[in-house]
Amino acid sequence: MSTLEKQVVPREVTLKSIPWDRIVQWGIVVLTGLLVLFPAWPILYQAFMDKPLYEQDKVATFGNFGDILGSGEFWTSLRTTIIYAIFSTILGVTLGTFLAIILSRTDIPCRKLFTSLVLIPFFVSPLVLAVSWNLIFGPQGYFTIVVRNLGLPTWDLSSLPGMIVVTGMYTAPFTYLYCISSLSLSDSSLEDAARIAGANPFTTLWKITLPLLRPAISFSALFTVVSVIESTSIPLILGLPAGVEVLSTYLYKLGVVGINKDYGSVAVVSILLIILVSGLVMLQRKLVSQERRFVTVGGKAGRPKLIRLGRFRWLTFALVSLYVGIGIILPLIGVIAQSWSPFLSPMVNPLTTLTTQNYNTVLSVPAYQSSIINSLLISTFGAAIGILFMGMIAVIAYRSDFRGRKALSYLAMFPRAFPGMIIGVGFLWAFLLIPGIGGMRNTILALTFAFIVRYLPLGFSNISPAILRISNELDRAGRVAGMNWIGVVRHILLPILGPALLSGYMLLFISFLKEYNVALFLFSRGSEVMGTTMLQLTQQGTAGPVAALATIQLLITVVVVFIASRFLGVKFHE
Amino acid sequence: MSDLIIEGLVKNFGGVHAVDHISLTVKDGTLTSFLGPSGCGKTTTLNSIAGLEPIDEGLIRAGDLVLNDTRRKIALQPEQRELGMVFQSYALWPHMKVYGNLALGLKLKKVPNNEAKKRIKETLELVGLEGMEDRYPFQLSGGQQQRVALARAVVAQPRLLLLDEPLSNLDAKVREQARAWLREIQNRLGITTVYVTHDQAEALAISDMVAVMSKGKLVQYATPHEVYENPATRYVADFIGISSFINGTVVERASNFTRIKIDSGEILTSSRPAPSSTDRVTVTIRSERIRLLPITTEAVANSIPAKIVSGLYLGSKYQYVVKTSTGTIRIETLNAAPGEEVLLGFAPEDLILLAAENAGEEVAVKEEKEAPALT
Ligand SMILES: Nc1ncnc2c1ncn2[C@@H]1O[C@H](COP(=O)(O)OP(=O)(O)O)[C@@H](O)[C@H]1O
Ligand SMILES: [Mg+2]
Repeated sequence: MSTLEKQVVPREVTLKSIPWDRIVQWGIVVLTGLLVLFPAWPILYQAFMDKPLYEQDKVATFGNFGDILGSGEFWTSLRTTIIYAIFSTILGVTLGTFLAIILSRTDIPCRKLFTSLVLIPFFVSPLVLAVSWNLIFGPQGYFTIVVRNLGLPTWDLSSLPGMIVVTGMYTAPFTYLYCISSLSLSDSSLEDAARIAGANPFTTLWKITLPLLRPAISFSALFTVVSVIESTSIPLILGLPAGVEVLSTYLYKLGVVGINKDYGSVAVVSILLIILVSGLVMLQRKLVSQERRFVTVGGKAGRPKLIRLGRFRWLTFALVSLYVGIGIILPLIGVIAQSWSPFLSPMVNPLTTLTTQNYNTVLSVPAYQSSIINSLLISTFGAAIGILFMGMIAVIAYRSDFRGRKALSYLAMFPRAFPGMIIGVGFLWAFLLIPGIGGMRNTILALTFAFIVRYLPLGFSNISPAILRISNELDRAGRVAGMNWIGVVRHILLPILGPALLSGYMLLFISFLKEYNVALFLFSRGSEVMGTTMLQLTQQGTAGPVAALATIQLLITVVVVFIASRFLGVKFHE
Repeated sequence: MSDLIIEGLVKNFGGVHAVDHISLTVKDGTLTSFLGPSGCGKTTTLNSIAGLEPIDEGLIRAGDLVLNDTRRKIALQPEQRELGMVFQSYALWPHMKVYGNLALGLKLKKVPNNEAKKRIKETLELVGLEGMEDRYPFQLSGGQQQRVALARAVVAQPRLLLLDEPLSNLDAKVREQARAWLREIQNRLGITTVYVTHDQAEALAISDMVAVMSKGKLVQYATPHEVYENPATRYVADFIGISSFINGTVVERASNFTRIKIDSGEILTSSRPAPSSTDRVTVTIRSERIRLLPITTEAVANSIPAKIVSGLYLGSKYQYVVKTSTGTIRIETLNAAPGEEVLLGFAPEDLILLAAENAGEEVAVKEEKEAPALT
């Protein structure tokens, strides 16, 4: 050591400034924990209480479980649920897989057009689709009457098989999307190799393409089963009138319809549903981690050669058109036509009876009017708050030295186990129980929070890949340049994430606009949304205003999707 | 005075000793390279200096500023350390123009706007990118991005400049120009610099001092000349340049020479002293310091017979692998071999004498050297 060095007096900087990094991180984590656990604990609590949880003289009991497990109605609806879920899934997954293969690997005419059309159910509320199908193919549906008048045998959509067919068609796009993205990732030289080895195109599809899709198919199957179990729209609109009851409608009956609402039973059924769904979700996660091991894709995915269908080309075209036409286009045309007419019937030419009466009703009755405004408010602002919140969670989970970041990412995925309706139940009860915040219960603020919780897993997993794609050397460069963690998030991560946040926002906007499950229990006078109003109107048997509301929702969706994809460059799927 | 002083630096990842008690001083205004195969802990050392990894033990001081001192629980955040750093991927912020990339750090340090403007202009001139302020990173070539990364690192006049394999993303030709250029800039700024690389030629060419690392440990810290001419261990000799090794026993120690009986029986004379600790030595020979002589009937001093196993013609030189009775030896020479059977001639000053290591370690050294080639 030189003498010069020894003269240096080391300066010690220990900047004891306020640790804003930690404050922000803890703030988000605590908020996430509160939001996620908020709806969970009242259900658990209520399940073991003999009286409604807001009453004073209740005592702990296991009786609720006994009541439910001893109830014939419960077992019947469980059995129906299983049959309904399995067959709808088989139908939906089969349809989706074939659509994916046909539309990505063959020279079917109008390929491009079909690839957009089959995604429509993705953007449309299942409630709107259920209403539409009922209008066209239901017992009094337009098309049903046409066929009946021709003296041909008709069908009964309002039945378990009818529900299965409709649900299969509705869920097919999920499988289609997963398979399409798996197909576009897989190496098309595997197929080329089979051709060179002497396989004809159809053998190649059967022996190579389809087996390669197996992980995508089983993943979609689980996803579909879960969404069928959770769904309420088709069971409510097609099942309930015919007395077909599944668990979700059983829960609805127990908690919403009856005069003597049975809180204990609602809690127990909720818990059983949560257990069922979380088991399936866990299985799904396991599949994903295994699927990664199967990804052997090395080279660039080349553009696969399209298989020439030859003389089957037009037959295939006809079959796909039939699905798209019957399953998607016709019902939507039907609902739009109904919205402009007093009564849709094959006896009357709808053009001669054009009326704005339905729209007048919807736009003038305060309760209906406010449901439109509420939906728009929640979608516009709730989705914005939601996506920022989810973005911050993802940034902490993946880009901070916060100790509990791993736990945070599990916390964010936790609501996956909760069917939407049950999140609504949980929020409702939590508001009833916690003194001081009960006033919020009847506001759209309560709905906004519940919607955010419901879509937390979706938004979080939508943003995460975008964050993981950003090299963490960018953050480190920021730190070295003089930023604290908040600075890095503000100046580097969030700006780079801009496009991903925007498309996440659009996804949430549309999801919030469609959402009604969460609101089923939670909404009240003044906080109704379009979905709940449509459901109420349907139950009153007024087709016109329902159709008008559905059309308005469709219009908003079309406009938003158009603007987002045309002007903002948002991609709704990869 | 901005010496960088590191004392007893330790960093573990679980059970892995990524950095294992490293101590060294980088003199003000000089450039030190951390050199070693991939995975030896260079990046971890650099990140520890930058404060990007919390360290387990040790003291790091830059000039009069204590960056880390685990005994007194001092650990500055990266943003408090006033450093500049160039990353392997350059890490230019893609959403900002070149100007924005340079300006952000200045703004955070509260440099007034017109002063910042002036400094950015000067810095871009220094790296030869004048007028590129309004380009986005994706509009620049790899070489230009690397210059912007350097400009961003030095624009705020940091007390240390840290570079993590900054040239490894450039193609071979550009890389050689870039390293001369980088050295020139460093000289001109006179900034204390730590440079991380796994490329021994780059380290020798660019550095004032080279710190050779192996498995988290500092094996030798010396000038490039010293590291090449007097490698401290067989590992260093093997990693830097191409060397061959012959084991033997010291038979005579004199003031100006050492005589060794190698294991195949021949006597070799080196003008270097043998290690005092042991008589078992490894005679280390650089491949380009071996002469190929024709076989003669009379005895030639300091030579051993060999047979050529394979030869490669590389344009500027020949490369041979030859077999002797003590093992294979690698040779680089300007002239073709005079025949299949040759004599290997050694000048006494070229025979480096290292204490022989046990067999287990020799194997480990081999494996480590091969690792980077695979990845
Ligand atoms: N974040 C980390 N977690 C666990 N181990 C790590 C981490 N970073 C580095 N290591 C380990 O520390 C050792 C040194 O790594 P590194 O400093 O990156 O080496 P180098 O830069 O010399 O290639 C390696 O064995 C590496 O696997
Ligand atoms: Mg490294």
